[in-house]
Amino acid sequence: MAASLVRFVRSGFGRSLNVARQSAAIVQTRTTTTETRPTVRPKDPVTHTQLSEFGEYIAEILPKYVQQVQVTCFNELEVMIHPEGIIPVLTFLKDHTNSQFNNMIDLTAVDVPTRQYRFEIVYNLLSLRYNSRIRVKTYTDELTPLDSSVPVHQAADWYERESNCSFVFYFIFFIKCETLLGVLILLRQVRYDDEVKRVVAEPVELAQEFRKFDLNSPWEAFPAYREPKDAPKLESGDKPAK
Amino acid sequence: MAGVIKKTTGLVGLAVSHNPHERLRILYTKILGSLQIMPQDAAYRKYTEQLITERFNHVKSEQDVEKLEKKINCGQIEEVISQAEAELALSRKMTEWKPWEPLVEEAPANQWKWPI
Repeated sequence: MAASLVRFVRSGFGRSLNVARQSAAIVQTRTTTTETRPTVRPKDPVTHTQLSEFGEYIAEILPKYVQQVQVTCFNELEVMIHPEGIIPVLTFLKDHTNSQFNNMIDLTAVDVPTRQYRFEIVYNLLSLRYNSRIRVKTYTDELTPLDSSVPVHQAADWYERESNCSFVFYFIFFIKCETLLGVLILLRQVRYDDEVKRVVAEPVELAQEFRKFDLNSPWEAFPAYREPKDAPKLESGDKPAK
Repeated sequence: MAGVIKKTTGLVGLAVSHNPHERLRILYTKILGSLQIMPQDAAYRKYTEQLITERFNHVKSEQDVEKLEKKINCGQIEEVISQAEAELALSRKMTEWKPWEPLVEEAPANQWKWPI
């Protein structure tokens, strides 16, 4: 099974659609033989084309905000937008008759510290009328605030507060600012204390000393996406040292 | 059975509409009017005009509510009315946002690259 991402890159210049297949990365392809491993997820090209056409439709209507559209190998449509377009895109997806994504399922963030805009905010939406899902992604760094999507979807309220606490970025709240941590202060934390040899209940402290995590694993995570190591480059005119 | 108004929509909070044709006629006319303000080549205008005129023609041609629901094929007529209301609100907001303009800002080079 070739795990291929078909990307439809929406460039800002010109209206032509670039259908760029993932040829840059090294993809392990297997020759098509009769299926001998039926537990592998079967490919569904019909759904794939339907989703990619719908993605093109969205990108054509909203070229001001949509930077990229892709359909993953699991047949999930993802729309990458500029952070200015959060409210327009979410309102469009909710109100337009052809989309009607009026259910917000999730609002989370992904932290990729190496990027310039390290946080990637992910909105998952569901359309009950058409029984389909879509993912909208934006980006921000620690300091730039984002528009709150609460005027569009009420469900975003809790998720925004939660992602505000888990990560460092923040939303501009339309309603009064109350974070999850403010709620926690009122509660008690329970821990086993070795000195008195019993369970103790104290006001919440959230000790931060043990929060340093080492996320490196000894196994290679994505063997199919290995980048070729850069060979040492020579200036033109130099001869390689013997 | 034509002319019998259904007792309930079956959906909480959605009342049966007594004159759906009139309501839809008003809403669709307003939507088409609001779309006229946008530039001719805007994709949103093109596709929405297509969709709305198609539904409008169904509304004009079919008098029976049940057959109209089947023709439009998007749920009950009350749901179609709420979709039209949403589309009207959206078209008014779209004239402010102007999403047909070219891209505001390109993402930085490796922003959407996965795996890193």
